[in-house]
Amino acid sequence: MPDNIITLDRLAIGYDGQAVLSGISLAVARGSFTAILGANGTGKSTLLKTLLGLQPPVSGEIKFPSPTNAKPIFGYVPQAIQFDPLYPLTGFDVALMGTYGRVGAMTFPSHAEKEFVHECLTATAADGFAKKKFSQLSGGQKQRVLIARALATKPDILVLDEPTAGVDVTATQALLEFISQIHVERKFTVLLVTHDLPLVKKHAQQIIWLHNGQVLHGSVAELFTPERRAEIFEMEIS
Amino acid sequence: METLKEILAPDFLLRNSVYTSVLIGFACPLVGVFLVLRRLVFMGVALPQISSTGVAVALSVPMWLGAKPDHAEHSEHLIAFAGSMFFSLAAIFLLALAERRGRGLPEGRLGTAYVVASAASILLLAKNRYAEVGWLDLLKGEIITIDNYDLGLTAVTFAVVLTLLVLFHKEFLFVSFDRAMAATLGKNVLLWDILIYLLIGATVSISVLSVGPLISFGFLLIPALTAHLFARNMKWFFILASVIGGAVAFFGFWLAYQWDWPVGPTDVVLLGVVYLLAAVVKSFWRWFVHPK
Repeated sequence: MPDNIITLDRLAIGYDGQAVLSGISLAVARGSFTAILGANGTGKSTLLKTLLGLQPPVSGEIKFPSPTNAKPIFGYVPQAIQFDPLYPLTGFDVALMGTYGRVGAMTFPSHAEKEFVHECLTATAADGFAKKKFSQLSGGQKQRVLIARALATKPDILVLDEPTAGVDVTATQALLEFISQIHVERKFTVLLVTHDLPLVKKHAQQIIWLHNGQVLHGSVAELFTPERRAEIFEMEIS
Repeated sequence: METLKEILAPDFLLRNSVYTSVLIGFACPLVGVFLVLRRLVFMGVALPQISSTGVAVALSVPMWLGAKPDHAEHSEHLIAFAGSMFFSLAAIFLLALAERRGRGLPEGRLGTAYVVASAASILLLAKNRYAEVGWLDLLKGEIITIDNYDLGLTAVTFAVVLTLLVLFHKEFLFVSFDRAMAATLGKNVLLWDILIYLLIGATVSISVLSVGPLISFGFLLIPALTAHLFARNMKWFFILASVIGGAVAFFGFWLAYQWDWPVGPTDVVLLGVVYLLAAVVKSFWRWFVHPK
């Protein structure tokens, strides 16, 4: 029996009861690195929001198989460009939010929690600019702070929504290398939404490919055959 | 300086007005910070006006029912507070609900709410024969007629608001900055939204009753906008906004008393001057001292 962390059973996702994608049945293996691919508007973000519990499924079920049946902790890394620059928050303030799931209302993060956040920032090589305003950091620096925040949640699954959007090529390469490295070191399950096919091929083990209302799921070797790749490139160009 | 000594004297005749003014100056910017961060500046304009319409409606109800208005004790003030609070909260929830649905034009809704509330207040005043008896002053925010009861009500309300802001600051900030992340970590985003809107509603209601809609709007937003120019982190953003509000409220009262000007408009103009000066200093700093 494979050890799955997420199982989707005839899942339909969409908005206001209208399905964008339906009949999704697949499983994500614990500790795997899975990339979610697809052109704009194919339902990548909708799938991600549904998995995270931010919006209800239209029909079907999402199961999180575990001995306790508890929902796993998601370390969510959104796109850095979505944050309002009005907030005078430092990189450390943003990363500290990762502990708020454990720190209840009317209490403040302890010294130990703050130390742990510093460790997360060091792990993502973000400690050097953690005291700077988050809004003044570069795209790559912001993503490192956001990954540190996700690590601070002590996650079971690291979920990254196009983390390289707005990040230059060099930083993108470094960022994916880093995500791949922490995946190996910390044995997280990683779910990565991206458009970057070469990087997916290099780092991901599994692919969920959304295309023309269909959801294909398989290993990189299965889905990256020359025929399928031609199809993907055609999709990306169109 | 003689005027200042007079104002600071414990037996100063208008001491309740000074205290109330300073309390509003300190408290309004604290919730105003969230209005600015959530880009709800127009709500900061519309809300005090809607709140004052609530006062007008609440004080018109006895007349509509054919009862004589009760100016005795503090029942009039309590009715006004209830009306103000009800209208503020109803408006906040309706506007927040519309925003959550993400349809239509938010600025359009707020602009309409503002202008309709203003017109409704004028209509209610025009048709209320008891308007001249005294509550017209209340609606305008007559800051010189504040008794111990009103001061106590204002102080208690702001103490509650401040306590909740401190206790739940982390949650309010989290759901404001990153709703999705907060939800994935199990925070009840809707509950925290409701609580912060309740605090905003209570602060607006009590300040409208004391100083009127125009001055409330000024203290809600201008100190927060001024503080934002210099704030390096959230803690200093709150502290700076509150200190600016409290200081301007005090010095505004002093100026108004010295020159026999109306207190509310003096405060708002002074807030505007401080904002302008702060913006000039910030620009000077950015261009000449620390150019990028």
